[in-house]
Amino acid sequence: MFSISQDFAPPFKLISPYFIAGSIFYFLSVLFLFSFSVENISVLDQKTLSFVHLFLLGFVMMTIFGAMAQLVPVVLEVGHFGVELFYAIWPLLAVGTMLMVLGFYSYPMLLPFGGVVVLIAMMIFVMEIFLTIKKVKKLNLVMSSMLSANIFLFFGIIFGLVMALGYAGMIDININSLLRSHVFLVIVGYITVTIMGLSVVLLPMFGLSHGFSMKPLERALKIVSLAVLLVVLSSFIEFKPLEYTGYILASVGLFIYFYFIKIIYKTRARKEIDIYAKSLIFSYFSLIASLILGLMYLVVGYEPLLLTSAWMMFFGFFSFIITGHIYKIIPFLVWFERFSPLVGKQKVPMLADMLPKKSSSAQFLFCAVGTVIIAIAILLQNDIFIKAGASFLLMGALAFVRNVFYMINYK
Amino acid sequence: MYTKEELFLAISTVIDPEVGFNLVEMGLIYDASCDDEGNAYVKMTLSTKACPMHQLIQQWVKEAVKKMAGIKEVTIDLVWEPEWNITMADEHVKKALNRA
Repeated sequence: MFSISQDFAPPFKLISPYFIAGSIFYFLSVLFLFSFSVENISVLDQKTLSFVHLFLLGFVMMTIFGAMAQLVPVVLEVGHFGVELFYAIWPLLAVGTMLMVLGFYSYPMLLPFGGVVVLIAMMIFVMEIFLTIKKVKKLNLVMSSMLSANIFLFFGIIFGLVMALGYAGMIDININSLLRSHVFLVIVGYITVTIMGLSVVLLPMFGLSHGFSMKPLERALKIVSLAVLLVVLSSFIEFKPLEYTGYILASVGLFIYFYFIKIIYKTRARKEIDIYAKSLIFSYFSLIASLILGLMYLVVGYEPLLLTSAWMMFFGFFSFIITGHIYKIIPFLVWFERFSPLVGKQKVPMLADMLPKKSSSAQFLFCAVGTVIIAIAILLQNDIFIKAGASFLLMGALAFVRNVFYMINYK
Repeated sequence: MYTKEELFLAISTVIDPEVGFNLVEMGLIYDASCDDEGNAYVKMTLSTKACPMHQLIQQWVKEAVKKMAGIKEVTIDLVWEPEWNITMADEHVKKALNRA
């Protein structure tokens, strides 16, 4: 008999705050968009940095951490080292995020405090993951990707804290050169590598895909990881070709990853284009759009191309892959907690019955339209389009928060 | 005590809540037998190794078989060879899943 994890579903009360907080931070990020005008959208603008941290820490990291509480045993095939530690992570991350957002927005003195609180939250998370990975006897590709991603996160947050101290004027450092390492370690090294690794578990599981080769993913992960290392190295050795090789390799790795996802999609037995499939399709095409825009920026050097690339990566790729999975993960956890003990005793709902179908479709539609409009707005440097796109996203974000509460409270 | 078909019929009451089909029509149950003393044996797989419901599903299979009169013990043999794929499912399942 093949033995796998004994602890696949941590208590829902432990995970649900992550999804609730994540959805609220998503809503707040969308509200933040209304404060932008084309004059202050630039990579190093304080308001942009405030927004990016609100979105990435509050929504993306918060939701990923919550999902990892459930997915780590599934992926690593061992129980958590200390799943109770997750009770401490989300409040620290939420407080740290708010302090950092305020710090970037108008009170730089708050940055080190926010940075330290976020650092503590992330260190607890990373250490818990490392100690859980230590229990694994033999690492497979997915487990190795999780290990690399968390090593990247570990260094990414240390770089981040050093930068926060620099922003607050406490130490004298070259923030610009550390910035690209911080960005690459966290966004590409942690978030993207985590998504890449988990997708080979989750996408075939939900789509019932079989008989595909893992080689493209293996190559993509190696190339992206190498790209992260090169970009980090370029922060310390001022050698432009090194930095640009890193950017090109990251793009190549992500194109290969897209090809791999296409194979999984083609080999799936489940052809229904539900909210999960729609969200993922939009997400992966946003990734491609982001890569093309990023490469164009490398050639042309026009900053709005870089900003649009980042926008499509954040609100296109990350947002939709997360919201799509939320529509799978929350119903499962609620069903597991509330309905699995009733199986065989009374009629229980299917997981698909627990989705708010119309509202999730509305969320998808409003968010997709809003994301595209804002991408165009950044490219054309048009204020009215930014407000128009933000209005669509606001409707989508409201629907998203409502959907999260609907699924959590499903009875 | 019970034939393979009778055991399969009992197990067909177990439904995968994600896809909405029972385990037998999904082709996840490979074999089943039962001796005269009421010891049942079920050889099965899951659609993925990473299935977070693997423990529950095995428990449901056990409970479904134990409901049969005279069954004392149920042994589940969870195997990964041959690896499950959609060709093992019944025609109506394939058709339903294939609907875009």
